Parts: sequence; structure tokens; C-alpha cells
Amino acid sequence: MIPFFNWFRRASLERGLDRELQYHFDRRVADLIAAGISDVEARRRVAAELGLAHVREEVRDVWLTRWFRDFLYDLRFSARSFRRSPGFTAATLLSLALGIGATTAIYSLVDQVILHALPIRDPARLVLVDWKGNQVGSGFGSWNLMSYPICRDLQQQTRFFDGVLCRAEIDVNLAAGGDPKPVAAEIVSGSYFSVLGIGPALGRVIEEADDAAPGAGPVVVLSNDFWQAEFGGAADVIGRKLLINQHPMTIVGVAAAAFHGVDVGVVPALWIPASMYAEAIPGAEDLLHGPTFWMQVLARLRPDLTPAQAEAGLQPWFKAWIQDNMLRPGFPIISADDRRDYLASTLEVTSAPQGHSPLRRSLSQPLWLLFAATGVLLGLACLNVAGLFLARGSARGREIGTRLALGASRGRIGRQLHSLLLAVAGGVLGAAVAPLAIRGLIAFLPHDLATSALRGTLSFRLLAFAFFASIAAGILSGLAPALHAGGESLVSSLRERAGTGFGGVRLRKCIVTLQVAFSLILVIGAALFLRTLAGLEAKGPGFETSGILSFAIAPVKSGYSPADAARLVRRLHDEVRALPITTNSAAARFAFLTGGSWNNGMTIQTDRRIVTGNVNLNAVSPGFFSTLGIRILAGRDFDARDSRPPGEAGHRSVIVNEAFVKRYLTGRDPVGVHIGLGSGPDVKIDITIVGVCASFNYRGLRDDSEQAFVPIFEGEDAGATFYIRVRGAPEQAIPSIRRLVRQADPRLPILWFRTLNDQVNRSLTTERLLAALSGSFGALALLLSLIGLYGVMSFVVTRRTREIGIRLALGATGASAIRLVLRDAVVMIAVGMAIALPCVAALGKLVQSQLFGVTATDPPTIAMAAIILAVGALAAAFIPAWRASNVSPTDALRLE
Amino acid sequence: MLILQNLSLGPAHGYGIAQRLEQISRSVVQVNQGSLYPALHRLQQKGWLRAEWKQSETGREAKFYSLTPAGRRQLAVEKDSWARLSGAVKLIFEEGSR
Repeated sequence: MIPFFNWFRRASLERGLDRELQYHFDRRVADLIAAGISDVEARRRVAAELGLAHVREEVRDVWLTRWFRDFLYDLRFSARSFRRSPGFTAATLLSLALGIGATTAIYSLVDQVILHALPIRDPARLVLVDWKGNQVGSGFGSWNLMSYPICRDLQQQTRFFDGVLCRAEIDVNLAAGGDPKPVAAEIVSGSYFSVLGIGPALGRVIEEADDAAPGAGPVVVLSNDFWQAEFGGAADVIGRKLLINQHPMTIVGVAAAAFHGVDVGVVPALWIPASMYAEAIPGAEDLLHGPTFWMQVLARLRPDLTPAQAEAGLQPWFKAWIQDNMLRPGFPIISADDRRDYLASTLEVTSAPQGHSPLRRSLSQPLWLLFAATGVLLGLACLNVAGLFLARGSARGREIGTRLALGASRGRIGRQLHSLLLAVAGGVLGAAVAPLAIRGLIAFLPHDLATSALRGTLSFRLLAFAFFASIAAGILSGLAPALHAGGESLVSSLRERAGTGFGGVRLRKCIVTLQVAFSLILVIGAALFLRTLAGLEAKGPGFETSGILSFAIAPVKSGYSPADAARLVRRLHDEVRALPITTNSAAARFAFLTGGSWNNGMTIQTDRRIVTGNVNLNAVSPGFFSTLGIRILAGRDFDARDSRPPGEAGHRSVIVNEAFVKRYLTGRDPVGVHIGLGSGPDVKIDITIVGVCASFNYRGLRDDSEQAFVPIFEGEDAGATFYIRVRGAPEQAIPSIRRLVRQADPRLPILWFRTLNDQVNRSLTTERLLAALSGSFGALALLLSLIGLYGVMSFVVTRRTREIGIRLALGATGASAIRLVLRDAVVMIAVGMAIALPCVAALGKLVQSQLFGVTATDPPTIAMAAIILAVGALAAAFIPAWRASNVSPTDALRLE
Repeated sequence: MLILQNLSLGPAHGYGIAQRLEQISRSVVQVNQGSLYPALHRLQQKGWLRAEWKQSETGREAKFYSLTPAGRRQLAVEKDSWARLSGAVKLIFEEGSR
């Protein structure tokens, strides 16, 4: 610390030292004169004795310590030389800032979505307990699903766990005084908050007593954000009543501020105890005792155990448990095959400090890909800076030689902090633009998810990351010039005459070759993702999307019985059809292109019995296929004959898609075949195939599954999504539809209004993110390497001006001079491509799952990317080559 | 240690210290005049010396160094360790001469 302060008062320290030494000098001289030595001789002798300059240097070292002083002088020297060449500084700074900013922005998402541990007590000990094998029976929700009873039973396994919780993510209709609206909620076991170690910010959290028996805990805990947004952070919120799906519940507390549930990507507004499942999930069977799987189970591992130990230790218990589970009421009757698979199931325990997240599952691969791409981009930026430094280094060859001759250490020359200083400055710039970039990135993601769950702010971790990225970039880009400067022989660099040295050119050519390779990889990646997006967009979902508006309702969440809900859906369906703006309209039980589906096995009875794999199912109204423009290939659409009166269970007829026929009914007329819903031996085969429709996408645009459709308005319906073909712009139908729903039931919320075009766009967000980002990274990389190539070629031309001049004077043509220079460039480009292509082949496997319609080694795509790069690179090299051909021999020779 | 011991007799300036060292040690210890100043500054930075500008015996302003309490403690420590070292050396010599 002292050296640091001394730096700022070094002027006064110097003055003090001068006076002190002067005093000593004068006294000594006076003493010697008194001893009879002449004035001149005395001065000479004292000066020799003291060695003033040497003393000063040594005292300065005491003040500042040696390395600190050198560091400061180097810093000053660097800053001064940057001021002298602002163009160079701006170019390097910009490439580093771009590289660091992009990497930081992507890292922010990687961190938030993939790496960040939950803000809970000791997250490292949190594990996910999952079922590995055939679970049989029914379930709902997404990923890692378990039943409530297994969670209860796991809580007894205290040898392995300090606590076990289960949770599921649900949507509920919430009314707090005003109109009801849908909000995200987490339904949790009573152990949830205590296992996570999350306390209340206000009131209390959900406790075991709330989850003791069905209906025991009509209470909710609000999330801190929701409490702020909805209740303005009012302290008297405790004890207030809310209506959850029209059932009164009491607010008992607000959770701690930093806690947003165990799922990155879904921020619950409130938590409800699992004992209230009947109110929170209308129409569900007995979820507390039945075998239905619908929750994720997380546990806190005992400190002395690893997940693998717990997993191994739990297997005997689990074997016994799955036997018992088969006796549970509601366990399905299954075939011998299924039974064998079921009994072979095991329990899986994996570390889950980041909680459970379907978002992580879907985004982690694209994010890692993008992160790798930005890493390459940053590497390119570093190479560019290294190239620029080398260029300057060789221009300063004589200066450096002179400084070496004057006694500067090689380390000192290499350590010339230029690159570090630049990189840190670039890092600061990069960190400044990173929040903007992050917000831009988040804008690519689906709106509802991104705004609630991801943040565009700079965290400490992020700044630390940017700092390390900058330092790494600085060292990387400083390395080549330092090596180069250190390796040159002193004598030869001094003897060298300006204009003949080739120092550093070979190194720079290697750098440019590497740049070409890197950028070709990025350009090919960009081309692949662009083609994927274009391919998916051109293909479409297989049905007409323009001019169609959709909206959804869930009447059972507003207290309707399923039969009443079915009646309401039917009434709304008729009324929407009658609207003057509607040309055609249909209803479906589940929405399309949302990623989810209702699926089940089916049993087909022809001359033999076939049990299918999972078939995607939906219930649709008559006219559904014509509304969406899906062709009926055989048989007929549903009509009034197919619908049973409300309250009567079972289906009469079914329409299957082409893929279903192709897989299970090839070579026979599907119409008239009888099938049953379910895959067990007890399934009744009483549904007739009445038609075959063209295949279209159900879950998402890549989905290519077997589908079967039954009529809606049969028996029980929890809710419906309406698809309305509108005259003119779809949005203008919104007010009249809102009015219709309000007339039918003023308290019934509409879950969403969306045009189908919008829905298709939403389902392509990941593809769009990848295409847009890899496209811009590819373009940036191309730009950086072209600048690098241009730089090294013009440098070569300047260096060879004399040689070219002589050649021209001896009769060489301008064209031959161009060829001479271009030959160099072509070699670099060709070698770069030769390096890149095997890399592309190797990396291809990693990206293949993200592609659609092209393979990772698609020859036309690679050829196109290579041509783009080659044309750009040759253009960049041509400019200096052209200059070379215009060298006037006399000028070139006079340059000496 | 020599500088600290020297200053324990009272404050002095750089030239004075050099002269005193020479006189007391009867010219056995010849201090390189040049190396005195870096040492003084180092000791000052460690907090063992304090410096102030005062009138010297010739009437000119000179920089006088004096011991701080920390410097006194350090002197005691170093004297002690020197005593042990020289005692040990003496013992070795006596052992050898017997």
C-alpha cells in the first residue's frame, strides 16, 4: 500500500532526497577542504564516494519497490503510445470489446439458466429423485414425474435424506377482489420450505400441518415479487382471503425475497400445500393416495453421502415399494410385458443444486453452443489484436533493438503491458454493453418466460467473468508479440536496414490462417442454423396459420363441474361460429404447438391385436380440419352423429392421421377399423376409425408423430382452445369474443389470445435465437478475419515494395505483381479451410440435434460458406495486391 | 542494527550518522556512504525511524532521523539475537582453542 501512496507524492519525496543528499555532499566537501584538500579535488572525491545517481535509484526502489515502479513506468509508456496512434487503439479496443461483450452476455444466460445454484441453504446437497424405467399408469406435467405417495414414503428414509419434498408447477385462477386471472403456482408438500431452508419475509411459510390430510391447509404463501407487484408490499396482507379457482384460501405469509421456486424459468406467484390438490387441480383423481405421477421429488442428502451411495442404498427399499404400489387403488391393469418392465424400474438420485428445470433441458444445448461460438469469436478478436501488435512490433523493431542495447531486459520489453491495458479497457467497454446485449438476447426468448425469470442486469459473478475473460484475452494477444520480441537477436535487428526485415510475418501468416479456419467454422454454423430456421418456416406446421385467432378457457378452474364445462364450451363454440366476423371456427381440448400433448397408448383390433406406442391425442369439434385447412384423405370429418350428449362417457369414433396409418395399418383400408383407448389387456375395442387426415405438427414444428382425434363435447371437458378463421386481421375479433365470454360468465378469465402465426413464431424461438446469434457471430468473425488478412497483406506489400519495384523495373508486369501477392493469400485461405473442414465434421455431431432438414456436413452449405469466405478473403487481399502492382519502380528504389 | 544503535544515542542527520559510525568503531567499520541513504529510507518506511527537518549545528536545514518506539523494540530484538549469535560463535572458538 505504501508504494502506492508514495507514487502520488513522489515529487515531494524527490525534492526531500535532493536536499538531504546536497547537505551531505556540502558537509563532506567542507570537511575535506578543512583537511587541506583543494576544492575541485574534494568535490570529485565526494562525488565518487557517494555515487549520487546510484543512491537516488536505490532510494526510489525503496519507495516504490522495484516491480511496482517498473509496472507504473510500463503503464505510462503504454498509455502514451496508445495516445500517439488512436486508430490502432480504436481498432483493437473495438474488437476486444465486441468479443468480451458477446461472451459475457451469453455467459450471463448460461449462468442463469444452467449453472446458478438455487438461493437456498446448502444447495450442493439437494438431489433429484427420479424413476428410471417404465412407470406405467397415468401422469401429467413435464419431466422427472413421481407420485405423491412415493414422496411421503421417501421421507421415512432418514438413513439417506435429511428431508424430502415434492412439488409440481400448476396454473390457477386467482381472484383477489377483482377479476380472476391465471397465475403460475407451485403445489408443494408440507416439507418444501423446511427442506429448502427458506423462511418467510412476513407471516409464516407452509408447514407440515398444512399438508397433513386432504383439505387440511386452505392457505397460500405469496412470492415476494408477487406480493410487491399485486399488493404493493402491504404488511396487512396476512390473513386476507383469496379465491383460488373459486375456492377461498388464506394468505399466511410471504416467502423470502431472493427465492423464486426450484424451477429457473417459472416464477410462481404463490405456493399451495399439496393437501389442497382437489381445489388447485380441478377434476383430478385422488392424487394424494393414487399412483398418478405428477410431481418432482427433491431431497436433501445426508452430509456424509454421495448421490451414488444413496441411489445404491435405496434400491432394495424401492424394489419392495414398487410391489406394494401395484396394490394401490387406481393402479392400472397391465400386460405381462409392461409388468416386467415396470418391475425392472430403478430409482435414480442425481445432484440438483440448480433445482429442476424444463427450461434448462431445452435451452442448455443451444446456450452451450452459443457460448462456444462466442469463445471462438473472442479468440478471433485476440488473434486480431495479436496481429496488430506484431505489425507494430516489427515496425518498432529498431526501437526495441535500441532499447535492448541500452540495457532494457527482454522481460521488460515483453511485459510492455500494452495488451493487458487494452484488454482491460476492452473488458470495461464490453461489460458496459453486455446488459444491452443480454436484454437483446432475452427478447428472443418467449416473452412470458423471459420477463419473469431471467434478468438483464450485471451480477458480481458476471463482472468477475468479464474481468477474467479480459485478462485471458490480454495475455493471449500479448503472447505472440512478446515471444517474437524476446526471440529476435539483438545484433541482427540493429544491423537490419529499414524496409528489408521480414520479422513476424511468418507468425502473422499463421495467425491469419487460424483466423480463416475459425471464421469458416462459425460461418458454416451460421449457415446451418439459418437453413434450419428457413426450412422450418417454409415447411410450416402443416396447416393454414394466417388469419386464424385462437383463445383458451379453463372453466373447471372457475368452479365448473366437467359436465358444465363441456356445456359451456359447446355454447361458446356455437356463439363464436355465429359471429359475423367468423368465417369458420373450431374447438380443441388441447392447444397445438405448445410443446405439450395428451398422449396415450392405443389398441388396434384387426385380424390381430396391436398395441401402439404413445399416440398424441386431442379432442376436436366438427369442422376443425376444414378450419385449419387440413385435408381429410379418406373417410369423413366428424359431424353431429359422433357427439354423445354431455355426461355420457366414452368415444364412438376417431380420426387418425396419415403417420398413424403408415405405422400401424399399412396395406389395409383404415376406415372402419376398430380401436380402443389404452394399452392394457382390459381395453374395450369400441371406437371406429371414421377418417384419415393429413399429418401435421401437434407439439412443435419438428414433431412428426402418430395422432388420433376424438370428438370434443363428449362427456367431460376441462377446457378448450378455440381456433377461429376471421375475415381480415385476426386481432379485430378480440373485442367481440371477449364480450361473448363475459356474457356467458363474467368471472371466467380468457387464458390467452394468440394468432396462429404468433403461435408458430413462439414455437421457433430457440431456432430463431440460434440462427440470429450464430449469423451475427459468423458475420463478425468473417469481418475480423478479413481485417486480419488485409492487415497482413498490406504489411507484406509495404515490406516488399523495394523487391516489387525492382521486379517491375526489370520488366515484370503489374499482373504478375498481383499474382505474387495473391499467391500468399491463397495459400493462407486454403490452409485455413483445410484446418476448418475436419473440425466441422467433428463438431457436426454436437449440433445435429439442433438442425432440421440439413445434416451438419451438408455439402452445399459448406461449399456456400467456403465460397463466401474465399471471395471475401480474396477481395481483402486484392486491395494491397493492386497497390503493389501500381508501385512505381523509381519511388520504390528511392524509399531507401 | 548499526544505524538503529547509532540513533538510540539521539537524533542525527545522514552525514552525522556516517561520521559517528566511523568514529565510534574507530574506523574499523567503513560504511559506504552511498548505501547509507537507501537503508535509512527503508527503515523509515518500516516505521522504525522518524524524520524531520531541523536546524543543524552549521545552521543549515538538515533531515534528522530519530528512533520510533517500534524502532527501539526492533533494536532490542536485534541486539538480543546478535548477542546469542556472537555468544555462540565465541563458544565455538573457545571449544576449538582448548
